[in-house]
Amino acid sequence: MNDFSELEGELKRLRPAVPSADLMTRVEQALQQPPLADGPVRGAQAASLQFGAACRKHLRTLRAHVANPFGKLPNGAGWQPALPRRVNWFALGLGTAAAAAFLILARVDVDRAREKKPTLAASTPAAPQIASQPARTLLPDGVTRVVYNTSDDGLVFPSGSAAPVRRVRSRSQETLQWKDPGTGASLRVSYPTEEIEFIPVSGQ
Amino acid sequence: MENVVTHEDWKVCFAEAAPGLILFARQFVRSVADAEDIVQEAFVRFWRRQHPIENRALLFATVRSISLDMLRRDARRARREASAVAEADQSTAPQFDPTTESQQALSVAIDRLPAEQREVLVMKIWNELTFADIAEVVGISQNTAASRYRYALAALKKNLISHE
Repeated sequence: MNDFSELEGELKRLRPAVPSADLMTRVEQALQQPPLADGPVRGAQAASLQFGAACRKHLRTLRAHVANPFGKLPNGAGWQPALPRRVNWFALGLGTAAAAAFLILARVDVDRAREKKPTLAASTPAAPQIASQPARTLLPDGVTRVVYNTSDDGLVFPSGSAAPVRRVRSRSQETLQWKDPGTGASLRVSYPTEEIEFIPVSGQ
Repeated sequence: MENVVTHEDWKVCFAEAAPGLILFARQFVRSVADAEDIVQEAFVRFWRRQHPIENRALLFATVRSISLDMLRRDARRARREASAVAEADQSTAPQFDPTTESQQALSVAIDRLPAEQREVLVMKIWNELTFADIAEVVGISQNTAASRYRYALAALKKNLISHE
């Protein structure tokens, strides 16, 4: 046993104030409606409950004001039944951050667009860049010819000639190369060639 | 066998629990009307979710949660209207119905207790919750709940002796 049993008994004899009949009626009316089987009170029902409480509170305030007309009226002027809402600070902060990021990006895009937009003074066609540069001097740097195939077509008699000639066909790949000594740039052109050669044949 | 809770059971349950619930809510809000609104919202929410009628700790936790929500919500507004309305409102209505002088003194002494001790005392004495239930409602350990209860009784006793 503790030393407080007498005090506890005294406290239990002290009865809490009896709730108003209005509260019992309100709860009884609420219990008449079908309960939700699927969990918490949400949406319109919760809002309705809270709105009812808010309205009653403001009505009480108004009555108090009528009883004491020289007192200040809350909320500035008139009855303003505001639906109580819980501010979701996390969502608010996230939304603000997203909006700020969007504005920053949008500003950057606008600046870029402004940079791209030609001004009136600059609308005159600019002189070609190539004209201001020194003329390039490409000097021949080399020629290569690679014969990869030779064939002998035999003796032929060209028109108007009594002596026969040997016709030799050769196929090759020729490459021409130029070089700019100033910049070291080079240009190379490569193409296939076919050459036919007539070689006189002695008739001894 | 399934234990079916009838509509009448809920009504009886509320009629029995209402005085203690309102007393508990008034530890957070001084106005009787606000406390009644809180208790109504908590009880109707509790009933709509079809919680077990015996789970009184959850019912008190709901009352506490709604009360704290209301305190937070009204904090800014309360600063603006702190003056005139408080005078005219019925916020100073007594929490108890004292019948003797000693009970009146006891009621005043309870009002002077720190809030965290007072809420434990209210749940223990007038709502007969166990320390385990109280710990669950407040979010503290059972030892802390028991300690707060003992401190509250000690403070009351000291206060009453000094006024004799």
